[in-house]
Amino acid sequence: MNVEKKQNTGAKIAIGVIIVYLLLPLAMTMIYSLFREWIDIMPTGFTLNAYTELFTDTLFWKAVGRTIVISVVPIVLCTVFVLLAMYVVVVYHPDWNKMIQILCTVPYAIQGVILPTCVLSLYSSAPEPFGNRMFMLVSTYMVVILPYVYQGIRNNLNGIGAARLIEAAQMLGASRFYAFFRVVIPNIMGGVTISVMLAMAIVFGDFVIINTLAGGHFMTAQMYLYDVMKKSGQRTCAVIVLLFLVTLIISAGAFFLQSREKDRKDR
Amino acid sequence: MAYIELKKIDKFYGDNHVLKGIDLKIKKGDFVTLLGPSGCGKSTLLRCLAGLEQISDGQIMLDGKDITNEDPKDRKIGMVFQQYSLFPNMTVEENLSFGLKLQKMDSSEIHRRVKDAIEMVELSGKEKEYPGSLSGGQQQRVALARGIVIRPKVLLLDEPLSAVDAKLRKSLQTNIRMIHKELGLTSVFVTHDQDEAMVMSDVIHLFHDGRIEQSGSPVEVYTKPATSFAAGFIGNYNILDSCDMERLTGKEWPSGRIAIRPETFFLSKNEITTEDYCMRGTITDSLPRGNVLRYTISINDVEIYADVLFRSISMFDIGDRLNIGVSDHNCVRL
Repeated sequence: MNVEKKQNTGAKIAIGVIIVYLLLPLAMTMIYSLFREWIDIMPTGFTLNAYTELFTDTLFWKAVGRTIVISVVPIVLCTVFVLLAMYVVVVYHPDWNKMIQILCTVPYAIQGVILPTCVLSLYSSAPEPFGNRMFMLVSTYMVVILPYVYQGIRNNLNGIGAARLIEAAQMLGASRFYAFFRVVIPNIMGGVTISVMLAMAIVFGDFVIINTLAGGHFMTAQMYLYDVMKKSGQRTCAVIVLLFLVTLIISAGAFFLQSREKDRKDR
Repeated sequence: MAYIELKKIDKFYGDNHVLKGIDLKIKKGDFVTLLGPSGCGKSTLLRCLAGLEQISDGQIMLDGKDITNEDPKDRKIGMVFQQYSLFPNMTVEENLSFGLKLQKMDSSEIHRRVKDAIEMVELSGKEKEYPGSLSGGQQQRVALARGIVIRPKVLLLDEPLSAVDAKLRKSLQTNIRMIHKELGLTSVFVTHDQDEAMVMSDVIHLFHDGRIEQSGSPVEVYTKPATSFAAGFIGNYNILDSCDMERLTGKEWPSGRIAIRPETFFLSKNEITTEDYCMRGTITDSLPRGNVLRYTISINDVEIYADVLFRSISMFDIGDRLNIGVSDHNCVRL
C-alpha cells in the first residue's frame, strides 16, 4: 500500500514538473506582456495597454477569424474526404488500402516551402476558383494535414475492427453506408478528434505556406504577429498569449464534446 | 422440402478453390453443425449463406426463395460472430434494438422484444451497460440476444464459443441449444471442436478441403466414420491397414483401412472371452485425459490407443503385459 502511495506521489511530481516546464515559456511571455519594462530581475510598470490595444484593433480580430476559417475548412474537408475514401477501402476494396496509405503519406516527404511555391507557380494565373488565394490555401493545407488525419482515422478503424462491425450491422438489416456512418464513425470520433487537433495545431502554427500563398492578399493571425514583432515586444507577447487562448478554447471545446460523449457512455 | 438448400456451391479466392461443389440441405428447426479443421471452408460457406461473401457458382435457396444475389440485410438471417462484434458505442439495450429500429418497429414492441431477449440470455440488469464493461461470456450472450431478437429465419453461429473459457463454453452450449429449441429456430453452427458439435447438433456436416466429407447425426458420424479423415477427426480412431489388423488378430483381412475407437478396446489382466478378437500387448505409455486414461499399447509391434475410465480398477502400469479384446462390429471398414 505504502509503495503504491509513494509511486503515485512520484508520478504526480513528475507530471507537475512537466506541466511547469511546458507552461513556463507561456507564463514568461504573459508576464512580459503585462509590464512596461523587464530590465532587472523583476519586471516593472504593470499595464494592460498591450491587451487594450489588441482588443480594440479590428484588424487583429479579423486576422484571427480568417485564421480560424482557413484552419477549420481544410480540416473539415480533409476529414470528410478521408472518411469517404476509407469507407470505400473498408467496405469495397480492402486491397486499395496500401495505395491509399502511400498516397496519404506522400505529403510527409514534401518540405515546407516546396509545396506552396509549386502551388503558386502552377495556379497563380489559373482561372477561378483555382487561382483564388483562399482556394489555394485551403487546398494546400488539406494536402499538408492529410497524413495526420489519415493516420488517425486508419488506426482507429483498425482498432475497432470496422469491417466486422459493418458486417454485424448488415446482418441486422443495415446498409453498408448506414452502418459505416451510424456504427463505425461514432466509435472512431475520439481518435478523429485527436487527429483534428493535431492538424489544427499544424495549420495554426504555419507561417511559410500562408505567407507564400497569401502574403500580399490578406492578413492572418500569423502575419499579424510577424507584423507586430517589428513594432513592440509587449504587444507581440500579448498576441501570442491571445492566440494561445484561442487555440486552447477550440481544443477545450472539442475535448469537452468528446468527454461529454464518454460520460454519457459511462453512465 | 428442405428449408435451406445449397446447390453446387463453388467459391474461389483468386486461384484458391475454397468451396468445391457443396450440396447441402437443411430441414426447418434443425440445429446443424459445420464441423472441420481450420481452413476447410466451413466459415466461408456460412458467410456465403449470410451474404457476406458472394459465391462463384451455385444457388442458395431459403424457404423456397432464391437468395443467391440478395443483400445480407434482406436475407432475414441473424448471425453471431466469433469476436462478438457488438457496437461499442451502444448499450446492451441499444445493441439489441438496433435491428428492430431498422425494421421501423413500434417502440413499445421494441422494448418488449428487447426485454424478452435479455431475460432469455439471463442478462437482466445489464441493459444500460456498454459492451466494454461486460465479461467475454456476457458479451457473447448479448451477441446471441442481438442475433435472435430480430426473429431471423435462420440463425448462423460462427465459432461463437471459441473465445470463451472451457467452463463458460459448456454453459453457453446449453444456453444456445435451449434457446434454439425454445424459439424453434433453424440454426447453422460452425465449429472445429468435435465435442461441441456432438453436444449441440441434430446433424453434423464434416468438412474437409472445401468438400463435405460426411453428413449425419452425431451418433452416426461418431460410430460410422465414412473415411479415414472422418475417423481421424472424430473420435480419435485408431486407423489401421489390413496388414496391421492381421498382426493384431492373427486372421486375414481384406485390403483397406479399419478404424477402431480407443474406448471400444477391453483391457484386462485376466483372460477375455466376451470379445471377438483377443490379443496380448504391452503398455508403453499412459496419458490422463480428464475422466479417461489413454494407454498406448504395443501388440506385435503395432501401436494402438485404448481409453479406459479413470478408475483405480482399470489402471495399469507402463510395461504391464495384458489382454486386449475388441468386437468385430467395432472394427469399422473405411
